[in-house]
Amino acid sequence: MPGHQAAIKLSSVVFLCASLAAGASEEFFESRIRPLLSRHCYTCHTALASGGLRLDSRAAILKGGSRGPAVVPGNPEESLLIRAVRYQDERIKMPPVKKLEDGEIADLIRWVQDGAVWGAETAPGPDEIAAKAASFWSFQPPVEPPLPRRVPREWARNPVDRFIFARLREKGLKPAPLADKRTLIRRATYDLTGLPPTPEEVDAFLRDSSPRAFEKVVDRLLASPRYGERWGRRWLDLVRYADSAGDSADYPIPQARLYRDYVIASFNRDKPYDQFLREQIAGDLLPWRDEEDRWENIVATGYLAIARRFSVRPERNMHLTIEDTIDNLGKVVLGLSIACARCHDHKYDPISAKEYYALYGIFASTRYPFAGSENDQYQKDLVYRLPQEKVDEVLKPYREQLAAIDAEIARLEEERKALGQAGTNGTPGGRTAQDITADIRRASKRRAAVIASMPPLETAFAVTEGKPQNVRVQLRGDPRTLGEEVPRGFLRVLNGGPLPPECTGSGRLELAQWLTSRDNPLTARVMVNRIWQHHFGRGLVATPNDFGKRGSPPTHPELLDYLALRFQREGWSVKAMHRLIMLSRTYRLAATAAPGNAEKDPNNEFLSRFSRRRLEAEEIRDSLLSFSGALELGAPGPHPFPPPSSWNFTQHKPFTAVYDGNYRSVYLMTQRIQKHPYLALFDGPDPNLSTPVRSATTTPLQALFLMNSQFVHEQTERFAARLLETGAEPARLVDRAHRIVLGRPAAQDELRKAAAYLDQAGRKLASAGFSQQDRQRLALASYLRALVAGNEFLFVD
Amino acid sequence: MNESTCSCTRRHAVRSLVGGSMLLPGILAELLAAAEADPLAPKPPHFSPRAKRVIFLFMTGGASHVDTFDPKPKLIADHGKTYRNGRYLIRPHFQFKRYGKSGIEVSELFPHVGECVDDICVIRSMKNDHGDHFEATLGIHTGSVTFTRPSIGSWISYGLGTENRNLPSFVVLAPHLPYAGGQVWSSDFLPACHQGVRIVPGPEPIPHMTPRTPSSELQEMELGLIEFFNRRHLAGRESDAALAARIKSFEVAFGMQKEAPEAFDLSQESDATLEMYGLERGSTQGFAWQCLVARRLAERGVRFIELIDSGASNNWDAHGDIATHIPLARNVDKPIAALLKDLKQRGMLEETLVVWTTEFGRTPFNEKPDAKGREHHARAYSSWLAGGGVKGGIVYGESDEYGIEVASNQMHIHDFHATILHLLGLDHTRLTYRHAGRDFRLTDVAGRVVHEILA
Repeated sequence: MPGHQAAIKLSSVVFLCASLAAGASEEFFESRIRPLLSRHCYTCHTALASGGLRLDSRAAILKGGSRGPAVVPGNPEESLLIRAVRYQDERIKMPPVKKLEDGEIADLIRWVQDGAVWGAETAPGPDEIAAKAASFWSFQPPVEPPLPRRVPREWARNPVDRFIFARLREKGLKPAPLADKRTLIRRATYDLTGLPPTPEEVDAFLRDSSPRAFEKVVDRLLASPRYGERWGRRWLDLVRYADSAGDSADYPIPQARLYRDYVIASFNRDKPYDQFLREQIAGDLLPWRDEEDRWENIVATGYLAIARRFSVRPERNMHLTIEDTIDNLGKVVLGLSIACARCHDHKYDPISAKEYYALYGIFASTRYPFAGSENDQYQKDLVYRLPQEKVDEVLKPYREQLAAIDAEIARLEEERKALGQAGTNGTPGGRTAQDITADIRRASKRRAAVIASMPPLETAFAVTEGKPQNVRVQLRGDPRTLGEEVPRGFLRVLNGGPLPPECTGSGRLELAQWLTSRDNPLTARVMVNRIWQHHFGRGLVATPNDFGKRGSPPTHPELLDYLALRFQREGWSVKAMHRLIMLSRTYRLAATAAPGNAEKDPNNEFLSRFSRRRLEAEEIRDSLLSFSGALELGAPGPHPFPPPSSWNFTQHKPFTAVYDGNYRSVYLMTQRIQKHPYLALFDGPDPNLSTPVRSATTTPLQALFLMNSQFVHEQTERFAARLLETGAEPARLVDRAHRIVLGRPAAQDELRKAAAYLDQAGRKLASAGFSQQDRQRLALASYLRALVAGNEFLFVD
Repeated sequence: MNESTCSCTRRHAVRSLVGGSMLLPGILAELLAAAEADPLAPKPPHFSPRAKRVIFLFMTGGASHVDTFDPKPKLIADHGKTYRNGRYLIRPHFQFKRYGKSGIEVSELFPHVGECVDDICVIRSMKNDHGDHFEATLGIHTGSVTFTRPSIGSWISYGLGTENRNLPSFVVLAPHLPYAGGQVWSSDFLPACHQGVRIVPGPEPIPHMTPRTPSSELQEMELGLIEFFNRRHLAGRESDAALAARIKSFEVAFGMQKEAPEAFDLSQESDATLEMYGLERGSTQGFAWQCLVARRLAERGVRFIELIDSGASNNWDAHGDIATHIPLARNVDKPIAALLKDLKQRGMLEETLVVWTTEFGRTPFNEKPDAKGREHHARAYSSWLAGGGVKGGIVYGESDEYGIEVASNQMHIHDFHATILHLLGLDHTRLTYRHAGRDFRLTDVAGRVVHEILA
């Protein structure tokens, strides 16, 4: 390791939003001049105003400092700034450390020559924030909209439908007919559980002619434990869940799964969404009923704890981990890119850099756990399940041993250092540096042995309160150049402000309350939009992580408000939202487009039909496992990580592993440093960034997986064997297979095709020397492979 | 499926079934004309390109600049003198020699590459943003040393698509995982089809490429059956381009299955060629194999081919002894020179940009005057470009007299990326992707095209 690790440089994360709709000059300023000023001048010439000069606005530059205006637009020769950077004048050579590159000086000259055009002004004052807030839809409180009137009876059954129908009428779009019952139950089952309906479930639904038949299906699915696995995964996508830390050696976090299971259980229990958020941000500070409840609240803060770690010394790069926390929190809970305000005031949304650091202070006052890293290869600061007194009592003897060994190591290191400085070959006692190093190694071994012998107390990868502190603004997001101190608090545009004076903690509890306050116009809107998005493939706001100015405006603003208010009124119940949406007529429409609609609404933004979708990675894998009967339900317990006492991962030999199994894909071990190869192939979530929308690419490598992978061959062969076990005749087997895979019986032409296919395949296998029994199984497996590679299985109508 | 079709090549068989006019007349072709259905379809660049493709040679661990491509006489003269903070200047461990008409000096670690120096633009003013492997490796690949971003190969695949749908657009020949693992070739927020496909030398270089069915005829039957199911399903859903794209993907997959093994099959290469690369017949070991396969992939239209010479250990990270550079250089020197000559002989060098780089250089100083190793040094280091519209036989930029800081014409990683994109006909400020409310670029908000090195 080098002795001169540079602090992580930040220029690459300046959240300037490039390619503005502006003239070339402004673009030139943004791409060439602003970064240059920022890099070379802003340490002294912003808030510090060295020499009375600020260089962070056009007005300030024209006003200049003690020596007069810094720039005369159109006249580089007369501009002090240019003289200073050219080192023309002995008294002002800027920047003082090192002359700018020739190209940079040329850029500055050209900029002054062309009139010193400035980009969008930053630094919005409080009034400006209020004005922006007042003028932008998402910062307005939701208003109960009147239900659209003059809606046909069949469209007026559910309030959702009234809003949808009114827009369809307005746009001249003709709604599709209702989907048939087989299509509907397959759609609903994949939607809520990520698994296919069984043939028996399909048959029961077809037989049920009561008007409440579909409602019963929805209720059954919502009550299934598979529901939480499906919708919990969506939350895990958002919070970029992983089972490793993301530092250079990607240390495993065996306890992360507790948070994963907490998320799944919370969805299954329909935990009120506001409570779900409060627990994840400040669970450790909330009141609790019993021990079980207390532990669950602690585990919930795993959300904050799993923020990404950086470099070989994560503890020295906590500014990046906090950045990752705020970025994720902003996008996921509020649909706001708050992190844009890390280096400068947000250019589009009313969020100032100061407010970013007001939030930053809250997390700087929070103690994050530590997963281990190249330099400290063991976990620390995790939260014990036992109360602290009990923990202290149990661990006291071990801690004493460790303290003694640590003291010994420190003494030996001192001794070795002293030896090095003295430049002699040995101590007075005749010991060489090598001897001392050997002693240190022995002591470290003893240390590891003590750690390995400690009783395995249950821990969570969770946060606790740290030392409450305000932080100073980091100019340009650089923790080495600090501006003024900012009191901790929450965004003004969302009715926030500084923490109340009586707050003595980090402020996380207050933050959790602010986020879930009914006065906050975003939290409920953002969540109902996500629920909507996952039923229809597209949110009412198509950019679910961005409700700011750069995001898409809602297609149905009144419906969004209606849902948001109803969500709050109904106790933030996610399941109630599913029921409302799924029992609408809109959800039950067929996926076929009426003639003429495609031209008017090519992306089906107004929902004149259902949007067909490809199954997601987990749905494909889980379905194949269920067809073969291999799928194991429930949570698999701990991942088979190597024991912590053996951890010696470094950037050179990072932790990498792929653990497969037959549990649902949500339980696959997920690393930050590498995607699971299967999930990567089928557009799985990004374990480093919030994934609000899964893309659905089509690649030949996916086709190759379906044709040639060991997994698909194993599952289809098991599936074939399972069907053959019933002893039924081939036509019945094929029909059963179609019912299992597609939710419908095989058609006549398919049965004919299947008979011919199995016969021909059997002959091919016979000529390849396979036994009668193998031939039957392999021919059927071959048929099934084609069935599961087909579009009818891979897409949901 | 008719037995008689088996006499044709497999590709023809499937083409006639799936893509041809026998079935679904017109529909597929029409649907697939929409670029949306095929994000890898070739796209026109922003302006006339100099290069069509890139071969990116990445030396993992940080190759020492003052021991390879940046000779420092003054460092020899002042060897052992204290530099700063109690550190001592350490002389280069290898001799430099002038090569070619240009007379550019290259160290004895790279005698074969030295012979090609008149085709090479040596850059001695590289600058990365971080001094640790993980971050710097991501920096040189993605432009970001902190948060994950798409790799340069993904950006180029996204910008230009691919000329050969039977092979991936972005291939990474990497026997070992580098620092930061798969993030190095990740497409991140770009569509997943642009992510690098890692090739590990061995029997199945591309995953799932080998048919598993007991006979090849059975697989053809399966493909025919898939087509039967898909055709049935498409009835009434003709307007959905995603369905058509997936039908097409099986044809492409089948083509890949046939063409990819051939791309990796070196049996038709002549003894002279193998000799030039220094590859034993039948071997898939070492950089020679990687370089020869790279040429074959380039011939077949792969857009971005990255070669990673070693992994996150046993690499150029010579803290203990710079002599560990010797076997690493020996592994790559002759094959790289062969690659350049081979491309040139075949008239491909003009349109193939060859990039040689590493995450950072190594310190020209150390804490002890007799240190044999060197530490990480991102403030100034060397890389080179060849072919693809770059001036050969020139040096761009210089480090100071000891090789510690950039002295002139700095080539920051953003400038490096901007210039590579420019050579491919892409304006780095216009190659953007909207994600999370912002238009992202490979070069973030920086980057300057270094016109001085363009031919």
